[in-house]
Amino acid sequence: MLSAKDNTLDGDGPLAEVSGLSAGYGTRSVLSDVGFRVEPGTRVGVLGPNGGGKTTLFKVLLGELAPATGSVAVRGRCGYVPQTERSRLDYPVSALDVALMGTLGRIPWWRRPGRGERRVALEALQKVGLRDLANERFGELSGGERQRVLVARALVQDAGLLLLDEPFSGLDAPSSERLMSLLELLADEGRGLMIATHDVGQARSWDLVLCLNGRQVAFGRSAETLTRPVVEATYGAQIVVVERERGDPERLSAILPPHHHNEGT
Amino acid sequence: MWDAAYPAVAFSNGIWRAIVDPWTEGIMQRALAEVALLGVVGGALGCWIVFYELSYSAESLAHAMFPGLVMAVLLGVPLLLGAGVGVAVAALAIAVFGRAPRIGKDTSVAVVISALFGLGVVLAFSPESPSGLQHLLFGDVLGVSNLDLWTAAGLAAVVLVALRLLHGQLLAVGFDRESARSLGGRPGLADVALLVLVALATVVAVQGLGNLLVVAVLVGPAATARLLSRRMVPMMALAALLAVLAGIVGLYLSYYAGTAAGASVAGTMVLSYLLALAADAIQKRAGGGRAIGFRGRGVVSGAYTFSSRSSGDGEDA
Amino acid sequence: MLEELYEPFALPFVQRGLLEVLALSVGAGLVGTWVVLRGLAFYSHAVGTAAFPGVVLAGGLGFAAPLGALASAVVFAGGLERLSRGRRSGYDSLTALVLVGMMALGVILASDVFFSGSDVDTLLFGSLLLIGRDDVSFAAAASVVTFFASYLFGRVWLATGFDPAAARSLGLRSAVPDAVLLLLIALVGAAALFAVGAILVTTLLVVPAATARLFTRRLLPWQIASIALVVAEGAPGLWLSVATNAPPGATIAMLAGGVFALCLVVRLLTGGGLPR
Repeated sequence: MLSAKDNTLDGDGPLAEVSGLSAGYGTRSVLSDVGFRVEPGTRVGVLGPNGGGKTTLFKVLLGELAPATGSVAVRGRCGYVPQTERSRLDYPVSALDVALMGTLGRIPWWRRPGRGERRVALEALQKVGLRDLANERFGELSGGERQRVLVARALVQDAGLLLLDEPFSGLDAPSSERLMSLLELLADEGRGLMIATHDVGQARSWDLVLCLNGRQVAFGRSAETLTRPVVEATYGAQIVVVERERGDPERLSAILPPHHHNEGT
Repeated sequence: MWDAAYPAVAFSNGIWRAIVDPWTEGIMQRALAEVALLGVVGGALGCWIVFYELSYSAESLAHAMFPGLVMAVLLGVPLLLGAGVGVAVAALAIAVFGRAPRIGKDTSVAVVISALFGLGVVLAFSPESPSGLQHLLFGDVLGVSNLDLWTAAGLAAVVLVALRLLHGQLLAVGFDRESARSLGGRPGLADVALLVLVALATVVAVQGLGNLLVVAVLVGPAATARLLSRRMVPMMALAALLAVLAGIVGLYLSYYAGTAAGASVAGTMVLSYLLALAADAIQKRAGGGRAIGFRGRGVVSGAYTFSSRSSGDGEDA
Repeated sequence: MLEELYEPFALPFVQRGLLEVLALSVGAGLVGTWVVLRGLAFYSHAVGTAAFPGVVLAGGLGFAAPLGALASAVVFAGGLERLSRGRRSGYDSLTALVLVGMMALGVILASDVFFSGSDVDTLLFGSLLLIGRDDVSFAAAASVVTFFASYLFGRVWLATGFDPAAARSLGLRSAVPDAVLLLLIALVGAAALFAVGAILVTTLLVVPAATARLFTRRLLPWQIASIALVVAEGAPGLWLSVATNAPPGATIAMLAGGVFALCLVVRLLTGGGLPR
């Protein structure tokens, strides 16, 4: 059994390299046959139905779940950006406090974040455009702002590869826009981004796409890979076509599979 | 001129005496010290208990420790030792019983608690036991000795130092348990640490409040402070302050109205929480800005003890 | 030797205790299955404990103790519902605080208002001498009500328990039945107070049902086994209470806990593995 920690990449080169990966919980296999590579500066859309393995893949990349077979290698740190829909809004933390949580792995556990750490956190908030809201309570920020704070937290971790779990869910159009341009900026700066999403149209605008449905359905440049057969194989019968791009029956603009928004209740 | 001033002087003199009198007695001085200690520890740690949603666990822990405390009194060993053994046994029992198939964790905890508590009561009623059951149950704040105070102070120091050192971990794990590990957090460590700290704080507070009322200081001031604070450290300070104040008020009540001291302190803490709740509700209804946004769910659905995360509708909070 | 064993049961107050346990058995056993099914152990502990100040008040003001117990428990349940409305989080801290507040109230009432401080132990842990004829009737009434409520609402409770979201989507409106369930637990808890004390109502309401649950999944056998266990643990517990001079609530609690532990060991050994 290999673990992500056993294989680290250094120097230049891909931020993550996976081949022949399969993983699951106990006897239940959730993912099989996964192989891909993420170079610096790329945005990878991760598509797939709920339960299809997106979260499991992220866990493997983070080193929290050991793969059953195959190899996983990650260069540098991996930053996880969870859905803010599940955040605790009643928690007494400011945006800065949340960003500072990113320093947890870098300072000894008994030391409190000092001036240097504060500076890094404020810079991260600046980058995501929320420097002014640093002292606001996290729960009082809007959904889009909270999501960006979580991105800032990953930046504070100095992560080369960011894993974002459906960051756009629950966001309105302007917030989505802001987040999209932030992600573009981060990629341009040389980071790798893997973004789980259900929005095919969105994924199309990124560089690569990885389709998972228990197994790897496809991986490649989004423009070529996101064909109707691929999307159907990824989502099975759950596709609801919302809009067709004019003049091209093979190109689908947006597909919204029915998924449960509030899974926890 | 003095004649006109005299009643006022007498009045203010009277007030001064009323305020100062209780503290002239050694008993009350020690009670005050005890209340201050348990207030600071309970208030600070309580903030974590509230955020980790450990109120049920804290109450259960206090009950589960009971036979250990009784044994300590029976055998004449320090309370701390009895508490330690009691907690260890309880934790073990909970771990084992928690494996019971088909019944939920809460149910198995309830089984352990009732059995252990029953054991404690049987021991306490046994012929050899000194008749001090009421004190173990409801506290004996007026019977605190200097040795007790020094022990409590030591334990309190340990708890406060631990909270300082573990702050970052506790904050990250409590905020987002799933992501915490990827940040470098250790959820397991946080859980165990909190368990140990709650046990220590209970030993500090059980002296003054007793086994049955100890949860008042572990939850009340923190829950009150939560309505008024925006960040964790100020909240902990405020909770400690509120706890000590409530303790002082409780002692005054006990001194002047003759009510049971432990129950008065506990009652004051609960009352101040209810008052703060009422004020919060009134403020929200008056549309006065944003109270710490709560949303509706009655006890009917809240009574389900499986943890259900609220749906993310904070957008329009 | 056998005669010694039966000796306690010759005493009139022990016989009344037995009657009380029998009268409670249906109520406690049935309610217990719902408590375990719906994960309401903390609530049932809380509502039983909350009945305590009501009994103190009743004793002090001179009205029927069962009435005081019930009123106090209902006030607790109702107050909790009212206070928890409009709160997204902090439900368990609210429960713990209202609970301890009522406990403190009861203590102050007992020791400083009505000077019935000596009653506190008996109210908290039970006492064979406490049980009067009123209490047995109350317990019997509680059992009858529970029986009918279970019959009427059982299906809804079952459906809601397994999958609240699905139940809602099926059109099952669970607010009223859920409220009935919570009130029912309050009723049986208040009744059980007189046998086992306010703090230990779970020993009749939760532990027997949890024990029975280890062996069966189907509702009816489970309910019957729970009722039987209440009696099977309550009666010997009473005997132990006389033998050790400890309160009946405590002895029954130890016994019930021990039986559970034993059954758990048996179950784990025969069931093979620990599927959690």
